[in-house]
Amino acid sequence: MGKKILLADDDPDVVEVVSMLLEDEGYEVVTARDGAAALEKIKLENPDLIILDLLMPHVDGFAVFDMLQDPRYERWSKIPVVILTSVREEVSNRRYELETGRKMDYAAYLEKPADPDQLLELVSRLTGSSG
Amino acid sequence: MRQRIIQEIARSVVAAGGVDSILRALVEATSRGTGAMGCSLFTLDEDSGRLAPRISCGAGEVVSRLGQVLADNALRHILEGNPLFVWDVSGDPRLVQRQELEREGVTSTVFLPFRDRQGVRGIMGLYFGEAQKFNREDLDFLNSIGELGGMILHMAEARELVARDAEEARQSLARVQAERRHFLGFLSMVAHDLKSPLVAVQGYLKMLLRKGSDRLDERMLQGIRRSIQRIDGMMELISDLLELSRLESGQVLAELKTVSWEEVLSAAVEMAHELAEPKGILVSADIRRPLPEVFASDIRLQQLILNLVSNSVRFTPRGGRITVRAWHEDDAVTVSVEDEGTGIEPEKLPRIFEEFYKGDPESTEGTGLGLSICKRIVDMHHGDIWAESPVPETGKGTRVTFTIPVGVTCSMEERWKLAGERERVVVTRRRSEEG
Repeated sequence: MGKKILLADDDPDVVEVVSMLLEDEGYEVVTARDGAAALEKIKLENPDLIILDLLMPHVDGFAVFDMLQDPRYERWSKIPVVILTSVREEVSNRRYELETGRKMDYAAYLEKPADPDQLLELVSRLTGSSG
Repeated sequence: MRQRIIQEIARSVVAAGGVDSILRALVEATSRGTGAMGCSLFTLDEDSGRLAPRISCGAGEVVSRLGQVLADNALRHILEGNPLFVWDVSGDPRLVQRQELEREGVTSTVFLPFRDRQGVRGIMGLYFGEAQKFNREDLDFLNSIGELGGMILHMAEARELVARDAEEARQSLARVQAERRHFLGFLSMVAHDLKSPLVAVQGYLKMLLRKGSDRLDERMLQGIRRSIQRIDGMMELISDLLELSRLESGQVLAELKTVSWEEVLSAAVEMAHELAEPKGILVSADIRRPLPEVFASDIRLQQLILNLVSNSVRFTPRGGRITVRAWHEDDAVTVSVEDEGTGIEPEKLPRIFEEFYKGDPESTEGTGLGLSICKRIVDMHHGDIWAESPVPETGKGTRVTFTIPVGVTCSMEERWKLAGERERVVVTRRRSEEG
């Protein structure tokens, strides 16, 4: 059975495109439209990889990332996180560091628009599979 | 009496704060010092040319409510700079309100012109209950009190004007800064909202290209590839605009730290390789170490070099070479990016750092903002940037060189200071236009 990917993004079209891409390669994709839903799905679905948008309504991606470092989420803290956002990497890093005092320790950072092949290559490497 | 008056004036004026409290101190001290029953100060309104009661004490309070006390010719005499002494108010035709003054118990009165360098600024009236015998010398002394008063008035007003100007300038500066921050926030939001649909559309197009390639003809596929490129161009433009306003607004200040030029250059050269090699272009680096440290933004310096490299990549054919050089000389670090590309026509050279300037207006590549971003970054670091084409040594291509002083702290401070100065000049000019 394919690896399970949680995809959190508030843009329904991004969700659709990335799901299409991953499902074609045999991955199981679980989606969340905001940070709160993402945290719920992480606990419920225990995915192999998280693809996380940063700018989302209510609970944003920064907050989700921060929550994953919390002891309450210890079981899921080892899940690799791929940031997929339109915010520039250094801007995000600086903001996260300013707000939390910690470094944002993600598995990979992709700026939108991401190259499909690059995204697939990353997902395959980080899940140790080809779907 | 004279010594007492001077002491009184000196003590009270020194202790007072704003213009009106200085004038009040002056009026009260003069009244007390001369043993008068009251004193009133009228100042000349520059616009209307009329005298208006300003400050008074004792019997002067009633007098200042009487309206014009002096006959016109007497008033003119004082405004020409002469003191007026009336020994007995009851029978003196120079006073139009003799009965009223008498009713208040005034017997003698002195009117002194308040003079500063620009002329008479007002009149001070002193009212005495008992008939006074002022000789010439006494009047001269009182006259010099008037002069002193005029000078004090002038100084106090000037001081207040400066303080008010400074405050106004400070407020306008704060307002401008707040507006800029607000505008930047707005712009970031707009940029994000403009990019999001483009990302989505481009995502679908890329999927179409992946999944539909066997069902679409080559011309259709080429159209899709072009669409993807055009969307890339549009997103680049949005990013550049946002970047430019970030630089303008001084948001960069948050990024400042001690930066090693050597690290900046090795990172930039590495990224240059990644940028150029897929296009079959060779990058060679000639970095003369050691290079010093600088208090700056490493991200911006890398961006600066990379913008130049990416320009060169755009105009250099496959198989060409781009050379990045850097050296430390005369308390400045100089970096140049040289290519073997198509070069820039001489008449276009002076304009290439302008916003939205493109050598080839037809080109859909590039945003026309890259070099103006470079110029902002260099300006921010108090440096210089220029371009040569063709490169003198090789007779082809283009070389862009920038130099950044070592001992200088990167800052937006100077810009703000200048902006503040401009605000202040405008404020001052407006005031003098009104006055």
